[in-house]
Amino acid sequence: MATLIDWLKNINHRFWWIIGGLTVLFIASLIFVTHNAMFYQQPIAQIVKITDETQTEVADEHQNQDIVYTQHIVAKLKNGVQKGKALTLTNEYSESRAYHPKLTVGQDVFVSVDSNDSGQLKGDITDVKRDQALLIVSWIFIMVLLAVGKKQGLYAMISLAVNAVIITLAIDMYIATSNISLLLIMSGAVILITVLSLVFISGFQAQTYAAAVSTLLGTFVLLFITMFVLWLTDEQGIRFEEMAFLSRPPQAIFMAGVLIGALGAVMDIGVSMSTSLFSLYEQNNAISNKDLKASGIEIGKDIMGAMTNILFFAYVSGTIPSLLLYLMNDATVGFTFSMNLSLELTRALAGGIGIVLTIPIGLYTTIYFIHRKRVKA
Amino acid sequence: MNALIVLAAVLFLLMTIIGGKKGVRSFVALFINFFVLIVAVFMMTDPNADPIILTLIACAIISCVTLFFINEINIKTKTAFISTFLTTALMLLFIFMVTDQSMIHGFGEEEVEEQTIYSYYLGINFVKIAASVIIMSTIGSITDEAIAVSSPMYEIRKHNPTISRKQLFFAGMRIGKDLLGTNANTLFFAFFGGYLALLIRYKDLNYTIGEIINAKIFSSEMLTILCGGIGVALIIPVTAMITAYVLTRPQKQKASG
Repeated sequence: MATLIDWLKNINHRFWWIIGGLTVLFIASLIFVTHNAMFYQQPIAQIVKITDETQTEVADEHQNQDIVYTQHIVAKLKNGVQKGKALTLTNEYSESRAYHPKLTVGQDVFVSVDSNDSGQLKGDITDVKRDQALLIVSWIFIMVLLAVGKKQGLYAMISLAVNAVIITLAIDMYIATSNISLLLIMSGAVILITVLSLVFISGFQAQTYAAAVSTLLGTFVLLFITMFVLWLTDEQGIRFEEMAFLSRPPQAIFMAGVLIGALGAVMDIGVSMSTSLFSLYEQNNAISNKDLKASGIEIGKDIMGAMTNILFFAYVSGTIPSLLLYLMNDATVGFTFSMNLSLELTRALAGGIGIVLTIPIGLYTTIYFIHRKRVKA
Repeated sequence: MNALIVLAAVLFLLMTIIGGKKGVRSFVALFINFFVLIVAVFMMTDPNADPIILTLIACAIISCVTLFFINEINIKTKTAFISTFLTTALMLLFIFMVTDQSMIHGFGEEEVEEQTIYSYYLGINFVKIAASVIIMSTIGSITDEAIAVSSPMYEIRKHNPTISRKQLFFAGMRIGKDLLGTNANTLFFAFFGGYLALLIRYKDLNYTIGEIINAKIFSSEMLTILCGGIGVALIIPVTAMITAYVLTRPQKQKASG
């Protein structure tokens, strides 16, 4: 506790000014997001009163028991020509909340207004307005990253934002010119992201080049190996048809996803290898290539387990709700796993291959750049 | 031949060649962790079991495997474990509130449309499960960062035994700050890669920005990224504090590390 207080005291005045400025921005954005209904095309209504709530117990054919609640709601329209008028809505949700949420007074919802012949407006709820929650969590994210990381926290956020913009632009480009392959466009995005992120972290210097070259080599070798294995095995065991949210052929989207998904982890390895080997070289300019190799492999061994683990959980955890849905609907374990896990496991394994391969790739690339520096010196 | 088996074999081979014994252990650890996750899912099908508590236990086992099995049991991994556990518990409470307030729990419209044959009246609490998903997605990252902070702190203390608790804490914070960006990046890309299909779908179906932001699946993805970022930031002061405290305890109380 004492260390925490010391740490808080250590934060300087300028930082408090920044905090003050951010607080003002926070309040302003919160006010905006609670009053932004006019900017939406879809009608938005705020729940004023929940007049009645009935419940029925249900059991499905798999002996799962649940309770279904029906809420009768009075809401007030917040935008459009009928702004200010009251309308009645019904919401049906289950105790388990597997689909519809339980609504409370004050909540904003998107509605479609149905009939108004008898003067009384009726409507259906299409979705919940979530921008406010998203905004608040975004602010918590910003505050925590700044409080812990200060300048590095800020850099991390800028870098994330830039990367998000690049990927979004790449998707826009793909949609606009659908004759260019998605994989090609994403490869371009990957190169741009790698170069920008690494130069942003450590500037124009030999170790940045080493990290960038290793990252790109690692990423594309991973892509090549994955494609080769899929071709070799005829994509057996991989349920592309189970890929969610499809609006286009799955293979291309899946491979582009593998490429983007592993990029962060591969970049992490590339940076770790080049930074640590270069710092060994800075400490002792006469260090032999053999010693560098030995240290590099040791460093690699330490990080490979952790990094493969990170990717694994980031991918596989998202399948938990679907796994539960299948299992509780009495699907067999084999069917459940093959339908829900094959794609995520492929991603995780492919990413893992990329991570592990980037260790020797990073090692030799960095040694090459150190060698070049030696020759010059 | 099954593509998954071939890919797993390639990964195993590479990990063995490059990582030696530690590589093999890392590969085995992946399988143990996968098993733990699956067991947790099976236990969640029981409506009487609390998914939050199951998740906390699963996360504790997963970080045990990652820290004590791949590495070894020593003072560094022990402090990393305590820090991971505390941070996970804290984050779970926070994320539970977030999933409840933002109503991102359960399945999205797009998913329900695709799986119409199934009953959704399952009697298990999907608000809590949504929180479990988010924390499980980031547990690998949080554990990694804990050991990445506690391990160099131990080295600093070893080379400089007179260092004060406060100085050691700040040293830990500095180390952590340098890792923050890359760790957040790793998670960010993993989530983005996984949801590429969704983003393309939104663009294909001409969703407006307002519709995208409020859509359940998109906001839940965004909240996962944000909560992941908060988690990898929060683990830094927690680990720095606990490690600084443990390493600078008076000598007589110090247990063998």
